[in-house]
Amino acid sequence: MSNRVEILGLYKDLETAAAAAEALVQGGFSEKEITSISSGPYPDGVIVKDEGRSFLRWISLAGGMMGAGFGFLLAAGTAWLYPLHTGDKPIISLFPVGIITFEFMMLFAILGTIGGMFLEMGLPGFKNKVYDPGISQGLIGISVSCQDGAQQNKAVEILQGAGAVKIRNEGQP
Amino acid sequence: MSMSDEEDLTPEKVEAVQQDLTSSMNPPTWKWFLLSGFLGLVVIWGAIAWGYQIRMGLGVAGINLPVMWGFYIVSFVFWVGLSHSGTMVSAILRLTKAEWRRPILRGAEAMTVFAIMVAGTFPLIHLGRPWKLLYFLPIPNQRGLWPNFRSPLLWDIMAITVYIIGSSLFLYLGMLPDLAIVRDRSSGWRKKLYSMLAMGWRGTAHEWRVFARASTLMAVLIIPVAVSVHSIVSWDFAMTLVPGWHSTIFAPYFVIGAIFSGVAAVITLMVIIRKAFHLEAYLRPIHFDNMGKILLTVSLLWSYFYFAEILTTWYGHKPIEWEVFIFTGEKYCFLLGLMVLGNSFITIPALCFKRIRRSVPAMLLISLFVNVGMFIERFLIIVPILSHRNVPFIWGDYRPTWVEVSIMVAAFAGFALLYTLFAKFFPIVSINDMLEGEHFKSEARLGRAKLKTIITDE
Repeated sequence: MSNRVEILGLYKDLETAAAAAEALVQGGFSEKEITSISSGPYPDGVIVKDEGRSFLRWISLAGGMMGAGFGFLLAAGTAWLYPLHTGDKPIISLFPVGIITFEFMMLFAILGTIGGMFLEMGLPGFKNKVYDPGISQGLIGISVSCQDGAQQNKAVEILQGAGAVKIRNEGQP
Repeated sequence: MSMSDEEDLTPEKVEAVQQDLTSSMNPPTWKWFLLSGFLGLVVIWGAIAWGYQIRMGLGVAGINLPVMWGFYIVSFVFWVGLSHSGTMVSAILRLTKAEWRRPILRGAEAMTVFAIMVAGTFPLIHLGRPWKLLYFLPIPNQRGLWPNFRSPLLWDIMAITVYIIGSSLFLYLGMLPDLAIVRDRSSGWRKKLYSMLAMGWRGTAHEWRVFARASTLMAVLIIPVAVSVHSIVSWDFAMTLVPGWHSTIFAPYFVIGAIFSGVAAVITLMVIIRKAFHLEAYLRPIHFDNMGKILLTVSLLWSYFYFAEILTTWYGHKPIEWEVFIFTGEKYCFLLGLMVLGNSFITIPALCFKRIRRSVPAMLLISLFVNVGMFIERFLIIVPILSHRNVPFIWGDYRPTWVEVSIMVAAFAGFALLYTLFAKFFPIVSINDMLEGEHFKSEARLGRAKLKTIITDE
């Protein structure tokens, strides 16, 4: 059985990197198998297309709702469980409860956003994934996920043919 | 190098930008050690003063009955105000995609985190016995005490905790790609540290896409939190029935005041960062010009709120409230004049002129004026009102002692020290934001002219 490996080609500029991605698509690789690695963001489609769906907003919303529930229970629930009568004030006072609910809603929404972001990115990822420090210095990487063997050779050939200054394999130090 | 070079973003150019923007992280010089040592000593002096207060009791501070809120609470409100604007300005500029935002964001976000950290220590100091803070937290304890969620002081603790966590995460989020860059440029223990903080970021298209989404979402979420924090600080005052405090306008007035002092502080820091790290090519006159316009707008708003508050009190002429105003005007005439000069009469006319807004020394001066004015404003909101409340037989006076002054000065030094250390370990200008701006820069021919354009992804 063959394994999937990631091959990375490094390019000096945007145009050659985009041409390499295009050559991979022409060579039979799907958009899903190709990604760019760069030190700065490019709009979707400039180098590669990232077609995956994002659930980040929903995760934030879920976090916010959980936080609101928690805040409400903390302020109103505990007051209701252990009632303390002060003057003619209500046991559950809506405005203060609203403020505590709001603060926890925002806190959990923020935590949800950060947590969701890492979840969607697949980070933390301390495993030795294919990467080159040259990317931080301005090189643009085109990475392709392929079967080892014939498909791997084909990917290397395409990446080299497109003018890669360097080719790296997954696991290479 | 100049950021206006027209060629493509080559690896050489990227390297040059990175070198410029990580220059603050170069090995420390003797000047850096001297500065950090001095700031550290001032902080230690402040800590000794605090220790002395804990040992001897709150009596060593100038606070008394009726002025039970003095320099500590003045400083608390001032620092919360400063913290307000960094994240907020950054979030608004991110959401509106203002191109000129890029070199300002990191410094502003870091300012927020350190200012709110400094602010958070003041209620602890003011408590006298700081370990009693435990009873503010909703933790079941043997004494059967539970926080009173109806108290604005508790809302304050909640809001500030949320803001510290939120603004720290906002700062960290923006730094994530930069941490990967410095990871790749460093070695030894620094590499280990940055590798851990970068969480294995590589910069794949997917990571960038999720990063952009998360940045926008965080910007949206942090704005209401920032507004709530200073609103709640104002409600510490406005929820009481004290004349001069019990006002519906207090929350928006505090929020505007906070943005005002925060924007001024961002400008002050921009000038210092620019000079200290030779970032003249990045923090250009256009950035001061635009920040000057924001400062002018907020100054006008602050003046408007202040005028509306005074006008209503003057016209209504309710004896108790008017007495407080008259007392403030008579006893604190000099401070009042200084505040109005710094916040309105100097700032507004000066900032109307483009030449002044584009002059770095002038902007430094104005921003300092504003923050002196805003510190005085915090003082005038608290001290005169408490010393001259409803019942004349408990009218009193307040003079800060050496303990309070030491702690207040140490807070400024602590803030500066945190900022200095931050700049030594992390890029103080966002590299990824600057590179993103360069990626999207382009030129278009229109008629006979060749104009600079910005490509957007919409």
